[in-house]
Amino acid sequence: MKRLDWLFMISLFALIGIGLALVYSATSNSDLIWYKTDWFKQVIHFTAGSLIAGIIVFMPATFWRNIAWITYVVAIIALVIVAGSGHISKGAGRWLDVGGFRLQPSEFSKIAYLLANSLWLSKNRISIEQPKTLIVPGLLFIVPFLLVLKQPNLSTALVFTAMAIVQFYWAGFRMVDLFLLISPVASIIFSAISPLYWNLLIISVFFVSIKFKFPLWIIIFVMALDIGSGYASQMAWNSMKDHQRSRILTFLDPMRDPKGEGYQVIQSQVAIGSGGMFGKGFGEGSQVNLSFLPEEHTDFIFSVLGEQFGFVGTFVVLVLFFILLWRGIMICRLYENRFVNLVVAGACTILFFHTFVNVAMTVGLMPVTGLPLPFLSYGGSFVLTCMILIGLMLNMRLKGKDII
Amino acid sequence: MFSTSQETENQRHEMNLKSLVFVCVCAMAFTLLIIRLLQLQYFEYENNLKRAEENRIRPVTIKASRGYILDRNGVVLVRNRPSYQVSLRYNNLKTKEMRDSVFNRLLKITYSNGKRLLDSSSLAFSFERGKWQKFRLQRLIEDASPEIVALFEEHSEELPGIEILVESRRDYPFGSHGAHIFGYTSEISETELELPENEHYVMGDRIGKKGLELSYEKEFRGENGSKFVEVNAMGREMGAVEGMPFIEPVSGNALVTTIDWKLQQVAETAIPDGLKGAIVALNPRNGEIYAMVSRPPLDPNIFSLEKRELHKAWASVALDTAKPLTNRAISGVYPPASVFKLITAAAGLEYNVITEHSKYKTCLGGYKFGNRYAKCWNARGHGVLNVVGALRESCDVFFYQLGLDVGNKRISEIGRRFGLGSALGVDIPGERSGLLIDSATYEKWFERRGWKWSSGEILNIAIGQGALLITPLQQAAMAGSIAWGKGLYKPHFLKEIRNPEGEVLRKFAPEKISEGKISDKARDLVLKGMDEVVNSPHGTGRRAIVHGVKVGGKTGSAENPHGDKTHAWFAAVAPLEAPEIAISVVLENAGGGGAMAAPIAQKILDAYFNPEVK
Repeated sequence: MKRLDWLFMISLFALIGIGLALVYSATSNSDLIWYKTDWFKQVIHFTAGSLIAGIIVFMPATFWRNIAWITYVVAIIALVIVAGSGHISKGAGRWLDVGGFRLQPSEFSKIAYLLANSLWLSKNRISIEQPKTLIVPGLLFIVPFLLVLKQPNLSTALVFTAMAIVQFYWAGFRMVDLFLLISPVASIIFSAISPLYWNLLIISVFFVSIKFKFPLWIIIFVMALDIGSGYASQMAWNSMKDHQRSRILTFLDPMRDPKGEGYQVIQSQVAIGSGGMFGKGFGEGSQVNLSFLPEEHTDFIFSVLGEQFGFVGTFVVLVLFFILLWRGIMICRLYENRFVNLVVAGACTILFFHTFVNVAMTVGLMPVTGLPLPFLSYGGSFVLTCMILIGLMLNMRLKGKDII
Repeated sequence: MFSTSQETENQRHEMNLKSLVFVCVCAMAFTLLIIRLLQLQYFEYENNLKRAEENRIRPVTIKASRGYILDRNGVVLVRNRPSYQVSLRYNNLKTKEMRDSVFNRLLKITYSNGKRLLDSSSLAFSFERGKWQKFRLQRLIEDASPEIVALFEEHSEELPGIEILVESRRDYPFGSHGAHIFGYTSEISETELELPENEHYVMGDRIGKKGLELSYEKEFRGENGSKFVEVNAMGREMGAVEGMPFIEPVSGNALVTTIDWKLQQVAETAIPDGLKGAIVALNPRNGEIYAMVSRPPLDPNIFSLEKRELHKAWASVALDTAKPLTNRAISGVYPPASVFKLITAAAGLEYNVITEHSKYKTCLGGYKFGNRYAKCWNARGHGVLNVVGALRESCDVFFYQLGLDVGNKRISEIGRRFGLGSALGVDIPGERSGLLIDSATYEKWFERRGWKWSSGEILNIAIGQGALLITPLQQAAMAGSIAWGKGLYKPHFLKEIRNPEGEVLRKFAPEKISEGKISDKARDLVLKGMDEVVNSPHGTGRRAIVHGVKVGGKTGSAENPHGDKTHAWFAAVAPLEAPEIAISVVLENAGGGGAMAAPIAQKILDAYFNPEVK
């Protein structure tokens, strides 16, 4: 039972291998000397990441509980520092210089939040009917969420949201509880989209809360909150100036930004589509190379895959991701321990959310959000984060029984 | 919390259910993606492939036009000109036959005199680079002449993959005139590109490197636009694509300077050829600089040249021992020589060490101090003089004795009041602070050389030699603020920033950097001295007389280690009691200030006060 999960490891290393090949292909027309290329840097990232993951796997079982809070505090401090004086790259203050390395605290804060939230939820029961049980997990979530949102980095903030929802679910929330919990946010978004959807939402919130026999005060509170936030956002929207609105729309949907992200998505779809069933062959995709020089090896690496290896390639990669997530979440079935369950579920959520949102973006199903694809996209902080998550999951698998 | 085994069992069930839900959600999401991929890669394959192959849509940056530099009356001093780059888009040459044929055709293109336009080795190098950087344009001919452009246009059908790009380069219609003020632009370097403040630039952009071009880079730059263009099989742009975003570039702002171009022209031609030196003319009432010249001249157009030419031209100016790149008006430091006597006299009068009637020991051509005999410039001696007379005739012996009485501390204090010893903050880079030193700093500075401050040092300071250095800009500001008497203003070139529509975005407000004042009585006497320097029959600066206006001034002839002849200095203000303009002139190793520098100041003043005569 505690032996290595070969299926998990094979799909992991297959993905890393494919990722390195694609980064190589996407950056091969650079005129840099080999050890300065992004490809070589990516090899270094994965080597370092694997070493770290290897160390993490053999950490004692109590280690994560002991460092959860301190990690969380350090991550928050780092986020505050970048919010104050971060390195401005591409107009967003997301970077922190640490001893010559440029790190993205928002990446590592995902792990910090994962550990801290898992620890709290493993020791405390939460219930929507007892609001004071939600104070601490609410604060744990909202602080990094707002700091990341302010960078501005909407997509990473959404990763936090996805983690929070899944972990609340694991901690005992029913689907209907989650529905009520996120309904105020949905109300804000729907009120911006169309009055019809908004009305449908409010009505369904009402009937769902009646059907599930929530206490009256919760129904009133949630309804008031939903209607209030819907109207408030409408009023705020109407009082805004045009350029402010346009800024918010671009924030929500970067495709609106006329600097050409929309063009990137169209090019990405054409690139993937022109790959056909079997692709144009490794290193052959002229389309990808021509079109988005700056981003192809980070956010649009999946387009490189689609063009060069066709549907066979994209299908295999998605299956590999599915196996990885499936074998990952199955760790939950090995132990009853709540902490183990929460950490594994959270880690799988991060990987799943990134994968789905990134691929959906490259095939034109979602707006361009700038979330990289785990194990395939280029990027130091992100590779390290993914490898740390893998290390954590393997550690839980190996030592889960000892964790109290 | 987990007390009974039943509860544990329930929980286990619950957890198992949850992981199942998670796996199902994943499976559904991935199925959705796979359906979409099937749609793109199977059902719409033909269409997408066609679009990919025919993809002639290309994002293009529209470079913003750089802001102009104008003089105070609207004369355009720096503008832009189109510059044509003949470039190779290697990716358009799909087959080896195409590449070979284009390569050979390019080699065959010749000038009218039969000389080859491109040599085979550099062309081969460009093709080789094109192979690696498939999607980047390789520049074959930089800044091509209209004839060359016409030649390529004519042969465009036979030369697929060859594109002519139009870029904008700086154009300096007046050549070397004003070059040291304007500075120049050149391609942004890799180190500069990495700076966070330069995030808006890309490789190949041009950026201000010196002078006003550097100081006001942010204003000149504007904002680049972008568009999506369709290109034909030859790689030629067919126009913007409908429905794609099109962002107009925003031109950079124009800089209206305080320069008076007529005056600048006079100043530019006033220094005899072959001499090194500098001229500064400014308005002492608000610090506006009317003219600034540094010799030897520099032609800024060389920085817009094609690379190979640029390297040649650059080497010749950078290695020139006369240092034409240096703006001597702000970066040249010289001993102020006798012009500094204005400060010594002002200090003596301000601190009541002397009065109008005070006399010192008779000047017999020198002064004995301890075992040292300090000479007066006039070996025949000046006799007995008061402070006005001593200024007029620039008697060293008078100032030796005055210096000893006043002391270095008080002289420095007055010097600082009028802007000496620190940079004035002019809005072009490279200004030096000069040197105005107290005894303690002097000893610290020259500790390694073992020099000690001695009371004899004051003899040198009092007549503007020794441990004293000053820039021509400081000289003009000093003379001007002494005469104006109502403050020392920061010298500046910025008058207004205007947007491309010509609306004024901001104006420079005069900035007082020091009170720049001495008592009225002291000022009157110093001005009287300046008056007599020019207007008395015995004055040393008589060659600065201008018809119709009262000019005051002070000559200087600075001894220096660089040659036999002295540096010629002249500082002038006019009209003396209510000055509108202050001028300083320095000519390196040219001789006496009265003979060499004063006539140059005279020319500029004459142009300023009697413009209709010209």
